[in-house]
Amino acid sequence: MNEQTLIADAQHGNLDAFNSLVLHYQDSVFNTALRILGDEDQAADASQEAFISAFKSISSFRGGSFKAWLMRTVTNACYDELRRKKRRPTTPLEPDTDDGEEMDSPRWLADPNMTPDQQLEADEVEHAIQHCLDNLPLEFKTVVVMADIQGMDYIEVAAAIRVPLGTIKSRLARARLRLRECLQGFAELLPASYRLEGGMKAQ
Amino acid sequence: MNQRDLEILSSYLDGQLSPSDSTRLESRLQSDPELVSVLDDLRAARTLLRKLPRRRAPRNFTLTRKMVGLNPPLPRAYPAFRFATVVATLLFFFTFGLNALAPQILQSQSPAFGMGGGADAPAESELFSQQAAPAMPAATEAPALAEAAPTEAPISAADLAPQPTAIPSSEDTARAIETPVEKNAEAGNVEIQNQPQVVDEAQRPAPFIPSVWLTVFAVVAMLGAIFMALMRRSSMSRWK
Repeated sequence: MNEQTLIADAQHGNLDAFNSLVLHYQDSVFNTALRILGDEDQAADASQEAFISAFKSISSFRGGSFKAWLMRTVTNACYDELRRKKRRPTTPLEPDTDDGEEMDSPRWLADPNMTPDQQLEADEVEHAIQHCLDNLPLEFKTVVVMADIQGMDYIEVAAAIRVPLGTIKSRLARARLRLRECLQGFAELLPASYRLEGGMKAQ
Repeated sequence: MNQRDLEILSSYLDGQLSPSDSTRLESRLQSDPELVSVLDDLRAARTLLRKLPRRRAPRNFTLTRKMVGLNPPLPRAYPAFRFATVVATLLFFFTFGLNALAPQILQSQSPAFGMGGGADAPAESELFSQQAAPAMPAATEAPALAEAAPTEAPISAADLAPQPTAIPSSEDTARAIETPVEKNAEAGNVEIQNQPQVVDEAQRPAPFIPSVWLTVFAVVAMLGAIFMALMRRSSMSRWK
């Protein structure tokens, strides 16, 4: 069944049709929430809230990119989550190492297809990028996550966050430059394969 | 590096520039190493972001009917049944309450009417207060004189005070005030004696609302509730 049919059925209250859409988009939604919030549990909560909210308001979807519409719902859920987090700050629950210190990169997320060295390398890169993303202003982070991590085009991003195309271009350019500056601080940490690619060189 | 150039470089990286703008930028890139450096930086950042591992959702986010508060579609007649049930229930309690309270209301109103002289009472008390007024100065004079001549015998003070006129007048007043109270008490007694008969008459032959209506309302409310429950059950079973 194609996406348009599923959307039309969901708009008539068909929950099974909507759940098919959920299964198709849940990884994208979760990854977006994860990169905006930087926390797995909060990202899962925001994703669930986003889908509930999307089902309740799906009648307001008037065509165009469903992914962009869904991403708008997710970013709103993330903003709500951030506001909640601000009101009730929590301590991240991370496992301790053998000597009692918190691990920065939990190993339970390890990919079994990678060697330990590759996993370590990937963890370090991910940690560095997430750290730099967290330091970006929220409106920059949202744009860069959608464009560079989700691979959405400018028009989709503009539709998702309802700002003019020019603003998207400006925010994306500035976000990339800020990320580049931030990641330079990790240049020594990053493995050679990541450093050399794309002209990532010390200035 | 100005903001405009930064945006152009970023858009060029994403292939979002028009062919003419791209050509112009490419010629500038050949002669401006700073532009090339910034373009490399933007590309490096984008490449790293694209390398971020794509996580799988930790669980399925599929929704249940409970999560979204979805109820099964109910028959068209359901709202009519609901309306009838609510109205019948309200009417039942209203009539029940009215029948229970009506005798008490009548009872509380009857002594006021039964007193008969109730309306005259304020006029009487005014009259009494006017009668009492001349006595009051006389009564206050007596202690004043008593204070003025403390050394004299109490008898002399009593002689000076216009007691013969004051005392009878105050006694009269007291008696006059007591009289309506007694009258009221007597009237009350008469009413109290009459009360059981009045209540019996009000309750026994005809309640305020005939009890058949109470029964009708109760039956309608109960039937409505039963039908509503049956409709819900059948809709739910059909939905599943």
